[in-house]
Amino acid sequence: MGRLINTLRARMIAVVLATHAALVPLLYLGVSTIVQEGYIELFVNPIRSYSRLVADELENASAADFDHHAAELLDSVLLSGQVQFAQIVDGPRTLQGTVATAPFPDNRSDDFRFGDQGDSVYLISHTVKRPGGSVVLRLGFDEGPTLQRVQTAKRRVLAAMLIFTAVSIAVSIWLSAMISRPMRRLREAAQRIARGDVQARIQVHSSISEVQELNHHLEHMRHELVGSNERLMTEMGERAASEAKRLDLERRLLHRERIATIGTLAGGVAHEFNNIMTPILLYSQAALREQTADSRLARDLTRIVAAAQRARNLVQGILTFSREMDAKRAEVFSVRPTIEEALDLLRAIVPANIDISFQAAGWRELRVFGDPSLLHQVVINLCTNSYQAMRPNAGRLWLTLGSVEEAPDGSAANEAGYVLLEVSDTGHGMEPQVLEHIFDPFFTTRDVGEGTGLGLSVVHGIVTSMGGTIAVDSTVGVGTRVRICLPAAQQAVSRGVVDGMHSGG
Amino acid sequence: MACILVVDDEIEVGEAIQRVLEQAGFLVTVTSGVAEGLKFLETATPDVVVTDMIMPKVNGLEFIKTLRSRFPKIRIVAISGGGNPISYKPEAVVTHAYLAAARAAGAEEVLTKPFDMDDLLSAVRRQLLN
Repeated sequence: MGRLINTLRARMIAVVLATHAALVPLLYLGVSTIVQEGYIELFVNPIRSYSRLVADELENASAADFDHHAAELLDSVLLSGQVQFAQIVDGPRTLQGTVATAPFPDNRSDDFRFGDQGDSVYLISHTVKRPGGSVVLRLGFDEGPTLQRVQTAKRRVLAAMLIFTAVSIAVSIWLSAMISRPMRRLREAAQRIARGDVQARIQVHSSISEVQELNHHLEHMRHELVGSNERLMTEMGERAASEAKRLDLERRLLHRERIATIGTLAGGVAHEFNNIMTPILLYSQAALREQTADSRLARDLTRIVAAAQRARNLVQGILTFSREMDAKRAEVFSVRPTIEEALDLLRAIVPANIDISFQAAGWRELRVFGDPSLLHQVVINLCTNSYQAMRPNAGRLWLTLGSVEEAPDGSAANEAGYVLLEVSDTGHGMEPQVLEHIFDPFFTTRDVGEGTGLGLSVVHGIVTSMGGTIAVDSTVGVGTRVRICLPAAQQAVSRGVVDGMHSGG
Repeated sequence: MACILVVDDEIEVGEAIQRVLEQAGFLVTVTSGVAEGLKFLETATPDVVVTDMIMPKVNGLEFIKTLRSRFPKIRIVAISGGGNPISYKPEAVVTHAYLAAARAAGAEEVLTKPFDMDDLLSAVRRQLLN
């Protein structure tokens, strides 16, 4: 109910009605009074002149035979049709015409008021001076037709007033509709914006300048909203990206720390282990020398020596992992020949159903600082992992070599850029939980006796010792890609020729 | 007969080396520290000194430097298991190229523990021939 009254239309109608309720009666009263006065004037003026005329005639009548003359006059007056009744009062006697009239109201005094005294007679008295005294002429005129005219006029005024009120209400309805329709559209537009649909333009057509202005302001607001919305979206995107980057960095840091801890431990164990292995190896070999080659003891000692040598190789792996690099072997070397050399070796052991290819991009000779044999080891280890991941099926193993400006993890920039080596295969791929541990020493997914579980941790150790980074992407059932990024050594000389793409087939 | 001094804090290692060298016909003395080694050097002058690098108190590098300055004629074979002894301080975790350092200080031969008997013998014989 409250809502109904609060609408623009109801308000406007209420205002119109209230105004009219107050003004229309006043207006009606005023107009009807003026109309009535006018009609009375029109009625009274001629009858006054007429009665004066009759009174003059009566005054001029001869004294002799006055009664006869008076009767004739009264008859003529009555016959004129304007007068309802007429009489002359002469002292105690009353003279009347011979024509029959309505009975004269005796008790009435002069009635100069229109429609007064409940009848429709307008009574005029004239005192006429006569030589023998004065007589009173009384004439009664019919007010009926004039009264009827006044009533008709009043009805017309009332009808006009009612029409005026009705038209006012109609106009107010129309006006309110003209205002409220665009208002409703604007409200709908605002609701759309509130729902988050800010893309649609607000366009409400109206001839009312306030509505146009409101439309303009709403459209401006929407425009601002779209802008700030976009800024917000961009900001949120950036925040999410930086959060992801932070998490990634954190994860890497944690991983690096774990590797470093394991490396420290491995380095310590290796030192003790090497000291223990030395007498085993030396005593076995010394004892072996004192035996004949085919003796039972010699065979046993040979076994001990072989086992000790295997143990030594294992420890060497651990040491490589814990970054025990022989500093004197580090040098600036060209990467491509090292990789090609390793691939030549691999082709001898990799099954024929696995296709190995190598592509080096760019014309520059890509060089890094480190031990070439260690990079050799990296390639061997990675490719071994790859082809073992493809067994027994056929597959593809491809290496690409190129250079990039920045390290993928955004670590400190290297002036000469970075050398990027990628080793990809179409093998089984790895689960994320496996991927997390692949650089841990002794972590292996292979059967016991097949691998030491040092392959990737050694690769990690070598790459890290060369100041590089390693990243592995893997999808189960699709394959694995290892990306190694090594800081490039300053180019001593550019060869200046376009080397082009080289395929090692 | 060539005389050889072996210095290693690990008695087992020192004695194993002694066993191998004596089998090959050398006269061998083993000491478990640099101080004892230097004491021995006051009484005798060996042809070759085989010394470990990582040792408590005085390490192999100091010993090699002393030998080079005081006994320039003695040939030196440095041996090391590398690694980072657990007892070492954290800053020592960083790679130490012990043997490279030994070579730089003047050792003629370097061997990584555990080495094969033949490697040790050929290193010693090479130095005795020169």
